[in-house]
Amino acid sequence: MIDARVGRVRKLGGTTWAAIATLIVLVALFPFVESNQYILNVMVTAFITLVLNTAWNFVLGVAGVWNFGMLAIYAIGSYSAGLLMLHTGLPTPLAILLGGVAAGGISVLLAFPTLRLFGIYTSLLTFSFAQVIQFVIVNDPKGLTGGSFGFPTVPGLFSGLGSLQQIRAFYWTVLAIVIAATFGVWWIRSSRLGIALRTVRDAPAYAAARGVSPIKYRMLAFGISGFIAGIAGALYLTYFQSVTASIMGLTPMSIDVTMLVIGGLGTIAGPLVGTALLTVIQEMLIDHPGIELTILGVVLLVIVVFVPGGLVGLVSRIRRRVTNWVGEEEVPATPDADTGSPPETSG
Amino acid sequence: MSETGVLLEVRGLWAGYGDSIVVRDLDLVVEVGKTVVMIGPNGHGKTTFLRAVSGLIAPSRGEVWFGGERVDGRKPEAIARKGLVHVMQGDGLFSEMTVEENLLMGAFPSSPWKRRQRALDRVWELFPQLTERRGQRARTLSGGERRLVGLGRGLMREDARLLMIDEPSLGLAPVMIDVVYGAIREIRERLGTTILLVEENFTHVGGVADVVHVVEMGGIVRSGSLEELSSDRTVVETYLGSL
Amino acid sequence: MSQVVAILISTVVLGSIYGLVAIGMTLIYGTLRILDMSQGSMVMIGSYVAWGMLVVGNYNPVLALVAAFVATFALGTFTQLVSVQPLMGRRNELDFEMVTFITTFAAAIVFSNVALQVFGPFQKNVPPLIAGGVTIAGQNLSYQSITMALTSILLMGALGLFLSRTRWGLAIRAVAQDLDAARSMGVPVGQLYPLTMGLASALAGIGGVFLGAQFFASPTAGDLPLLEALIVVIFGGLGSLSGTLYAAYAIGLIQSIAIVAIGETWTLPILYGVILLVLIFRPYGLKGNPSEVRL
Repeated sequence: MIDARVGRVRKLGGTTWAAIATLIVLVALFPFVESNQYILNVMVTAFITLVLNTAWNFVLGVAGVWNFGMLAIYAIGSYSAGLLMLHTGLPTPLAILLGGVAAGGISVLLAFPTLRLFGIYTSLLTFSFAQVIQFVIVNDPKGLTGGSFGFPTVPGLFSGLGSLQQIRAFYWTVLAIVIAATFGVWWIRSSRLGIALRTVRDAPAYAAARGVSPIKYRMLAFGISGFIAGIAGALYLTYFQSVTASIMGLTPMSIDVTMLVIGGLGTIAGPLVGTALLTVIQEMLIDHPGIELTILGVVLLVIVVFVPGGLVGLVSRIRRRVTNWVGEEEVPATPDADTGSPPETSG
Repeated sequence: MSETGVLLEVRGLWAGYGDSIVVRDLDLVVEVGKTVVMIGPNGHGKTTFLRAVSGLIAPSRGEVWFGGERVDGRKPEAIARKGLVHVMQGDGLFSEMTVEENLLMGAFPSSPWKRRQRALDRVWELFPQLTERRGQRARTLSGGERRLVGLGRGLMREDARLLMIDEPSLGLAPVMIDVVYGAIREIRERLGTTILLVEENFTHVGGVADVVHVVEMGGIVRSGSLEELSSDRTVVETYLGSL
Repeated sequence: MSQVVAILISTVVLGSIYGLVAIGMTLIYGTLRILDMSQGSMVMIGSYVAWGMLVVGNYNPVLALVAAFVATFALGTFTQLVSVQPLMGRRNELDFEMVTFITTFAAAIVFSNVALQVFGPFQKNVPPLIAGGVTIAGQNLSYQSITMALTSILLMGALGLFLSRTRWGLAIRAVAQDLDAARSMGVPVGQLYPLTMGLASALAGIGGVFLGAQFFASPTAGDLPLLEALIVVIFGGLGSLSGTLYAAYAIGLIQSIAIVAIGETWTLPILYGVILLVLIFRPYGLKGNPSEVRL
């Protein structure tokens, strides 16, 4: 089943696992060291964005489908969880889960019209879809979404706790989901499904000849990424206890796409690196609102033109070069070295 | 502008696409006013060679000198402006443009553009069968007509110094092949243009070729006049062409 | 009866302005094979030029159009040189359409945020280019709308002449149809590509002057026109100039009917529904190239 063209799936060495475990423990212990609520708040927000970016990276980078409607799916997860909380009295965790399910379902539906389209048409279609969802939310005639004023306040996930405790609880919850989503995507990427997806992406004719159905796999990719993005949206809602349509649109999309591209599309560590880096940059520029986006645009341009594989792609390229230069037999284990370039959908 | 001596000189040229190199260490000289024909089977690098000379692909090694200037590695548009006209295999017509628009594109560089009307009249005169098709889109033409438009487009350059023609007989009915070669003969005799022509066999090139090179596996294996080569049994046996 | 007249008038007005903005995208797609996401920014910049010329400078409307043309032509050329040209030579090693989608998008982000920095977030009102109007069959029709439709039609006609009669116009079409052949005719693509993008941007810039006068200038004034142009080019089939024209008026008609029937608010989702159907049944649009649509 595994074809050499599709890219190798690397096994991680013991040191890398140790490094990953250490990183997770350090990040998990961080709220005990740092009790500044502003910083913790920034980190929770970044974690939620990271969950969304992991989902987006899966469909955009791994499956190679130009889905630019992800923020609409994210918003759908958010609003449907909110509607469930307000109107059915479901417990919050269940509402979050169902928000993910709703988003995944709509995402599968969105996959249908894209099935017969090739690259650029897919991006147009999904991009327009996002614009329309935003429009519908803002202009909702029944007043369910709260229009441009935002969604009515919903109960939080840890409302019983004090404010620092609440943030900490949220921090660990979202961190757990980040870890689950990242490892989940990692696992899927090297599973049969992931291999099939990458085969359909890189060698559609070969995939068709092997009986790999692009339809089935594209729907699965949309469903999985939609579910994860919906969970992220629902988490956003419960964390801020409200949501407005401004979570979607051109500005957030620019930021998220920049994060993905800077990190390295299709790589596992890409979303992490991109989200972390851009969060730091955004915080540094917080006193100069507006300049931030101009700089992001320039950075995005420069990265795409000069470092098409993103930072993760660049690092693994350098590592490979250094290894070759040193002359070692064994290539050091990197989880993400094999997809240094943006996906290719053309056949 | 009368030139004498060597117009095109290729030294040790290697070219291909990606990993597959099909032109291997090819040397060639084309003298001013001559018609040079390259004969060889399909897939042995003739088209790739012409594309490398006109700059459409970058040769991986070797040198191309055109009119005393080194041109390998230059952009195709820059080489074209120096007077090298490449009539591509499959004609390379702009299929949604009319016959006249296609011809006009042949005169794109600024000096022939100024004299485009005269050049156009010359093409109409040379290929009268095209006049009634002038407003028709190129994709609606027959294969033979397309070939004539391709040749005619090459003739729109009054400053053309070398006309490279890639398999003019390809895919045409015998009657049309005669028409096309009649046109080539006319170009050669009336205009005196230097021609580098590529064909799969000897069948049609009688009466136009001054020098013939046999290409095999990306290199030239035999050279001589048509008479010399056609009396060579091994060559004739390999390239079935009858004269 | 008066409703029919209203629909017809609105179809012509909307269709013409859509055509003007979208035809540039088609031209760029046909020639460079990129979907230019900065086309909306050119509309936005055109609106600001109109505001600057008419309100701040108090100049003649014709001068405003000329200034918008020149400014957006220059910016479009610049955008091409910065965000597309460096990628041109690497078509084979990267997914060119996707990457240029992102880079022109990045350029659009920069443009609207620079506008935000310079002009602030508040909308600037632009006066109509020509005040007043007439009443036809009970329908009010402003001179502004008439001028907008006429100028758009005139410019599209001029574009048609340029593409079929002039040396560089022919070259633009030639490059769109067969790049290698065009280059071997001596067409310098390194200059032709920026020229094409400049020209397309200038058309959008002119559209921006009119749209600015119709609505207002703001940093996000280009978002909606971009979306509408995208809908038009999908509907018409990417790269087909005639398809874009038909699609512009078809979309104008659908939108006009929707406005009369159920009001302005819901026209965008309706258009989107139409596009969805088009893409499901004719994935290459009205006149696109079926062979380009894969999977």
